[in-house]
Amino acid sequence: MSSNKVLVIGGGPAGLEAARSAAELGGEVILLEKRERLGGTPDRESYAKLTHHWRDASEAMAELATAATNNPNVEVKYQTEVKGMSGRAGNFTVDIEAGGAAESLNVGSIIIATGFQHFDPGRATQYYNYYTFPDVITLTDLEKMLKEHNVVRPSNGEAPKKIAFIQCVGSRDRQIGNEYCSKVCCGIASKQAIELRQQLPDSKVMIFYIDMRMYGYWENEIYWPAQEKYKVNYIKGVISEVLPKGNQLLIRGEDTTMSRPMEVTMDMVVLSVGMEPSAGTRAIAQTLGIQQNKYGFIEAGGDGGLDPVATSVPGVFVAGAAAGPADLDDSISRAGLAAARAVASVRKVMA
Amino acid sequence: MTVKYEKAKAIEKEHIIMDGVDVSGHWNRMFEQRTIFEYTPELIEKIADIPDAESFANCYQCAKCVAVCPVDVVGNYGPRKLYRYAQTGLDLTEASELWLCTTCANCLRVCPKEVNMVKIMPAAREQAILDGKFVPAELQQAFENTAKSGNPLGQPQRKRDAWIKESGVEVPIMKDLGRKVNVLWYVGSYPSYHPRGIDAASAAARIFTALGIDFAVLGKEEKDDADSQRLAGEKGLFEMMAEHNIETFNKYEWDELVVTGPHELNAFKNVYPKYGFERPVVHYTTFLARHLDQLKPLLKHPVNKKITYHDPCYLGRHNGEYEAPRQLLEAIPGVELVEMARNRQNGYCCGGGGGGMWMDSFTAKHTTMRLSEKRAMEAASTGADVLAVACPFEVSRFEDAVKSTGNEHVGVLDILELLDKSMRGE
Repeated sequence: MSSNKVLVIGGGPAGLEAARSAAELGGEVILLEKRERLGGTPDRESYAKLTHHWRDASEAMAELATAATNNPNVEVKYQTEVKGMSGRAGNFTVDIEAGGAAESLNVGSIIIATGFQHFDPGRATQYYNYYTFPDVITLTDLEKMLKEHNVVRPSNGEAPKKIAFIQCVGSRDRQIGNEYCSKVCCGIASKQAIELRQQLPDSKVMIFYIDMRMYGYWENEIYWPAQEKYKVNYIKGVISEVLPKGNQLLIRGEDTTMSRPMEVTMDMVVLSVGMEPSAGTRAIAQTLGIQQNKYGFIEAGGDGGLDPVATSVPGVFVAGAAAGPADLDDSISRAGLAAARAVASVRKVMA
Repeated sequence: MTVKYEKAKAIEKEHIIMDGVDVSGHWNRMFEQRTIFEYTPELIEKIADIPDAESFANCYQCAKCVAVCPVDVVGNYGPRKLYRYAQTGLDLTEASELWLCTTCANCLRVCPKEVNMVKIMPAAREQAILDGKFVPAELQQAFENTAKSGNPLGQPQRKRDAWIKESGVEVPIMKDLGRKVNVLWYVGSYPSYHPRGIDAASAAARIFTALGIDFAVLGKEEKDDADSQRLAGEKGLFEMMAEHNIETFNKYEWDELVVTGPHELNAFKNVYPKYGFERPVVHYTTFLARHLDQLKPLLKHPVNKKITYHDPCYLGRHNGEYEAPRQLLEAIPGVELVEMARNRQNGYCCGGGGGGMWMDSFTAKHTTMRLSEKRAMEAASTGADVLAVACPFEVSRFEDAVKSTGNEHVGVLDILELLDKSMRGE
């Protein structure tokens, strides 16, 4: 028996947009979410401001969630996990466990929107000491502090006067296995640097980088104001050691434009951790039998590389950062395409 | 495996006696600190906080400026480097680097972030002067001369029109003329006083006369435009001079102001308007190119020379005039015009702008050769017999430079002098 239903797995920005778009195109949507609430990583990790118009992350996620849940063609199932799948495009049987109860769904197409997770800085080959020194934090940790307007050194509760961002932690690294650029960290670090200078005007904020890889308009919307208006200092040459020095941190690296070694003390060091496939993305690929790329993200692109939502299984599509590093623009754009393709796929089978 | 260590640069005082003991040379050798122990964003902010110097903070280190910086060609300089020096501990307001920029604007031409040294330098220098920081003594002297005598050469005001008698033609002076003229000719300080400047002024007087231009000069009432003093940081002095000049200009009736020098053009056209003076101003090359039809029949005698033309920064990049000087040179029979590799928008600075005119000894300590020498060598390498110029700063600078670089065979002449030669024969 073929089904006209579209199953969306994951209630983050990509899943919410995919659900809304598919429903608006006339599809009947079931949206599965592992947690008890929608909003995905921006919600779970307490993001403060988004790079998009500096919007409050909770408010923006709530807006995406409402747009999906207000549509009568979207049914949301919380605290749900996918346990198995059989069938083929137009007629999939998906076994789920919702709130402890097993259930079987008959759907025509599937959109995977299971997202990413932040790189675990403990895995970095450099000597950053994230798990040793309380004042070595990640972008995610700082994001929480910024949201609460309470940026302090975890070691002593005082406001940091000198803060260093270290770029490309867990990205662009063959040894770690993440050879790709995580796309967003340069922009996010710059955004947070601006917020730091707004919240702590007396602080000195420096970003140590290999290349600043801004993302289209982020160049002029984030990077340039950070430097020009907020006097964030960008220093080419990435740090490869963070050592203790008194009650401060000593960062060591090479200042490449000066060709000089640097050993500078900091009150706080922020690791610009990149993106990796989330545990959910890895698990769903196994459960559904979908091909992953060498980094664990869902392999997308189709035969010619021009189909960014196609997976290795016909009728199963991918949206958002489950397919690789992406910002909100990318995630949402890809979600819209996945929705269109999923609905079209169902109609083809039904016709 | 051999490991190559980069040695730190030695700092060594040539002559020093401490407590009666001679510790000259290697006895006092110190080594420059190599490791960076501190970054100093506050020193970038210090400059960027000065009004007009805001764009200092914009640099994202692409380094496009460095390759086209004329000072870097003969030394180690450029806006990108200044930003980094500030970021690593240099207070630009008390550094020798503050005084090396000639405000030639070639960096600004290529800068994607519009870091504007033409605005940053005068602002930062003014701050240094106000804070009593180091100012090169020779520059200080030029400031004092301007304040005292009305010109940076320190020549007496009463002799400002003494050059006229050398021209062999009658040059009307506004005060005596008592009527409106078409052209008020602002002669400028160097054409009024410097022997080689006087040659150009005399040539101009003869050309204007031959063309039948209704012109007059200010004579003893003329004072220096002070634009270069402004760019060197003396805004107060500039304002004082501007006030005097504007008052003098407004005293008389005239249609158009013609200037001998590009710095004067920049002053009257681009800066004096901020002080209420908004009248038509042109450089003599633009003015004469407009009279080319009348001028051509007067150029009877061939000047059989290979000539290369040096674009003055303040005529070219700052004010967009590249073609008029070339049209004038090409109108002279016998002239073969050849271009230097760096020309027009990418013209190489002679080192005289932004106060550089009065800091040659100071600049020489920080460069491997003078900018004018580099340019003289470029001119010589074209095989030209003559280096033609259109800025009164340049004749003396380049005449020294062709000599010091062993290129005496290259003559240095103002376009006015070349036109005059062709007009009168020799």
